[in-house]
Amino acid sequence: MADDNLYWVGIDLANGVLSGAMLGGYYALISVGLALTFGVMRLINLAHGDWVIFAAYLSVTLATVAGGSPFWTLMVVVPVMYGLGYAVQRGLLNHVSVQATERRGMSPVFGLMLPLLVTFGLSNVLSQGLLLVFSADTATIKNDLSYSAIRLSEDLSISTLRFGFFIAAAVLLSGLALWLKTTHIGRAIRAASDDPEIAALMGMRTRHVYAVASGVALASAGVAGFMVGMTRSFQPFDGPSFLLMAFGVAVLGGLGSMLGSLIGGIVLGVVQVLAGTYFGPAAQQVAGYLVILLVLALRPQGLFSGKSR
Amino acid sequence: MSISARDAPASPVLRVTGLSAYYGELRAVYDVSLELDRGDILAVIGANGAGKSTLLRSLAGLANQGARSHIRGTIEFDGRRLDKMTPEQIVDAGVALVPEGRRLFARMSVEDNLLAGAYLLRCRRTARAKLEEIYALFPRLRERRMQVVSQMSGGEQQMVAIGRALMSSPKLIAFDELSLGLSPAMVEEIYKNLRGIVADGTTGILVEQDLQRALKVCTRFCVMLEGNVVLEGRPGEVSEAAITAAYFGEGHG
Repeated sequence: MADDNLYWVGIDLANGVLSGAMLGGYYALISVGLALTFGVMRLINLAHGDWVIFAAYLSVTLATVAGGSPFWTLMVVVPVMYGLGYAVQRGLLNHVSVQATERRGMSPVFGLMLPLLVTFGLSNVLSQGLLLVFSADTATIKNDLSYSAIRLSEDLSISTLRFGFFIAAAVLLSGLALWLKTTHIGRAIRAASDDPEIAALMGMRTRHVYAVASGVALASAGVAGFMVGMTRSFQPFDGPSFLLMAFGVAVLGGLGSMLGSLIGGIVLGVVQVLAGTYFGPAAQQVAGYLVILLVLALRPQGLFSGKSR
Repeated sequence: MSISARDAPASPVLRVTGLSAYYGELRAVYDVSLELDRGDILAVIGANGAGKSTLLRSLAGLANQGARSHIRGTIEFDGRRLDKMTPEQIVDAGVALVPEGRRLFARMSVEDNLLAGAYLLRCRRTARAKLEEIYALFPRLRERRMQVVSQMSGGEQQMVAIGRALMSSPKLIAFDELSLGLSPAMVEEIYKNLRGIVADGTTGILVEQDLQRALKVCTRFCVMLEGNVVLEGRPGEVSEAAITAAYFGEGHG
């Protein structure tokens, strides 16, 4: 009898840790774009969550119109999101950035405030636009993997989709880290984030470099939006809750670090699922934010950032 | 009195005419004109605030940035008008600056800093070979290529800064305060390499506080005072006493 109890305690714990970790990959992918734009341009993109939802609607629409397996929609969503990210940065955000306001001889305070205001406005435009087109009804990407699971033992299983997304997130984040580390454009992104004036002396067109970084950030939001659509239902005004979660993950992992995003996502996922298992669904969100506050109080540079900035 | 080519019949590679540079309302460089031939090393001498750094920043395109600062006058290099170009275009045209205070990308490794200097499309294919040249010039950097530059000594950082500028294969390289904050031994080592750094056919501009050292390596010099060029010539042409007098602004005005 006692053995039996212990077994179920262990199974609960293992299930919680496993599904929390799987959830972490998905969290990481939602937050990595935010971490990237902040790390490079010191730009806090308040519309990030709305872009995730925008991408989710884009996937739903494409899947509904054309049919077939929903996975092919990624081949459209990712390049479209990259293009949007590039265009918005080049046409809008580059003109209100810290660097731009400095060039005009304005106080750096404007450089911090303007992007916040502009991306906040963009967030509203996106969510209201989605409401206009898709109404307030919930949407989801229909797929036959929703209820499929991989059984690890008789009482232990993980969702096939979550597992797939976790692997995809790990691969994408590693790829992104490698891209930043080894390519000319990746090096330019890091250089421009460190010292834009000297980056220009190296021949780097910083406006283009920033736009590429924003494009990649929104491309990652595109994959994240697809994952949202595949695993849950969503509405036009869900963006801010994703933004909040993305902030949490980025803070946990240390803003700007790719690997940090993955670890931060896993920490948040595991804590949330375990809190949900033991203290009920209401505790899930509370526990998540408690951990974030705790990390902010004790290690404000994040768990995995080597140095404070 | 402009320094004109004495025995070289070819036209000067760099011609600066009537250059003034402003920070807002403040004029930091006042109507400077100068000419350099291929292979020349010009030493720009002057006290703090004389406008030396601003002169170099003007050449590199950094003094022409909207409301904060702008330049007047013309800068011609290799037949192209640098004063109309952005910093990105200027480095592509073959002018590299080793900035004051080194200004390395602090969180990046030695090798990443060097490779950042080879970002231009025309440099990418030869970046690896160029990297080997830099390591041959400064073997110390090869040993520390994976080290993050913020953990290195000032002299080593200066080597990285010089190497980073060389990665773009410049035809004109300008050094701002080459020896500032370095140990005497390190200054010795960098000056020993200067002839190798400013290779045949490359033109150099050197901003330096150390008068004797500057006069030893340069082929021309000019002395700046309060934004003006007050004396110019070739080493040996003018007595050191006259240069010192110009440096301190005695006998002028």
